[in-house]
Amino acid sequence: MKPLKLLALFVIPLGIIIAAVPPDRVKHFRLSADELLQEAGAGVQFVSPDVVADMLVQKDPSLRLIDVRTPEEFDSYSMPGAINIPLSSLLSDEYTDILNQEAYMNVFYSNGSVYANQAWMITRQLGYENNFVLDGGLNYWFGNILSPEAPSVTSPNEEFAKYDFRKSAAAALGGGGVVATEGSATAVKAVKPQVTAKAKKKPAGGC
Amino acid sequence: MGPLAPYEIISENTNFLLAFFIGIAFGWVLESSGFSSSRKLAGIFYGYDAVVLKVFFTGAITCMLGLLFMSLFGWVDLDLIYVNPTYLTSAIVGGVIMGAGFIMGGFCPGTSFCGAAIGKIDAMVFVVGLFIGVYGFAFTYGFWEKMYFAKYLGEPKVSETLGISDGLFGLFMVVAAIGMFAVAEWAEKKFPREEY
Repeated sequence: MKPLKLLALFVIPLGIIIAAVPPDRVKHFRLSADELLQEAGAGVQFVSPDVVADMLVQKDPSLRLIDVRTPEEFDSYSMPGAINIPLSSLLSDEYTDILNQEAYMNVFYSNGSVYANQAWMITRQLGYENNFVLDGGLNYWFGNILSPEAPSVTSPNEEFAKYDFRKSAAAALGGGGVVATEGSATAVKAVKPQVTAKAKKKPAGGC
Repeated sequence: MGPLAPYEIISENTNFLLAFFIGIAFGWVLESSGFSSSRKLAGIFYGYDAVVLKVFFTGAITCMLGLLFMSLFGWVDLDLIYVNPTYLTSAIVGGVIMGAGFIMGGFCPGTSFCGAAIGKIDAMVFVVGLFIGVYGFAFTYGFWEKMYFAKYLGEPKVSETLGISDGLFGLFMVVAAIGMFAVAEWAEKKFPREEY
């Protein structure tokens, strides 16, 4: 057989296959299951509520809270300055620039930490960095940060320091016995996520 | 998983080492395909020998299909592959200079080294000219700079411009390459040369 025919027989079917594959399939996860398991096992995604409270009080501009609950839940109560990206629309193109970035520390939260963790796992597997999960979620946030319980008199000093910090943070953040289901007193106006176009960073190289 | 260097699976130095071996393999393929003969290379412009077209287009479609399939299997992230940014003006001017030099000299930069390596004197002269050009450009860079960076288009892909999928464009490329090879083989028969 002539070389040209042989080549054509080989490459044209390959071209047809690659043309027939839907373009969306030409994508892949960037983190292997092993790597993800390791990170999840080590709990690197969790941010303590005390750290978040401190950042909120100090108005740290690098903190970006992301509410992964439904828009209804978000409207009834959200943490100060949080934006709403419901878990169901996490993969929407609209939010890619928010989730895949290097400037902010994104902290996912939900009522517990299950949904926030799911959001973290999905974004992490896509290879995105700087996404974290609020440890304990809103339930812990309300129970311990916004309405801290005084430690017993025999507690170590650290517990008192923590309590003092939480009390003052709660005052600054407008807490004090508010429960998630009531919410209206501290309801924060919903902030629409700002979508900014961002050039993707590429590694330098040469031919 | 890939590309290897941006993901830091291999170090920068390993990358250079691999490039060294790939370069040697590239030179060997060039030489064994007859690229060290300027008469054979110039044949593409006169129709009597289309080896340049065949080797480079076969290389291009092999590489293209390989990357598309590796991306499909999740082995390589095409977003991280380095693509030369397009500066339209300098690409056109550079292409014209390169083409004219190719017809006159019978070599392109890579093949001139290939020819020089096996002792072809015309190739060595070409390499000297190449260095004159390189240094000439470097020392008069300020003069060219504006033109050099004119009409910046980023890193456009033909498939994006046409609004079709990478895979479909890949198929068009494959069919176009096979068609060009057929035309080239016809031309080789039509304009034969006895000895070159």
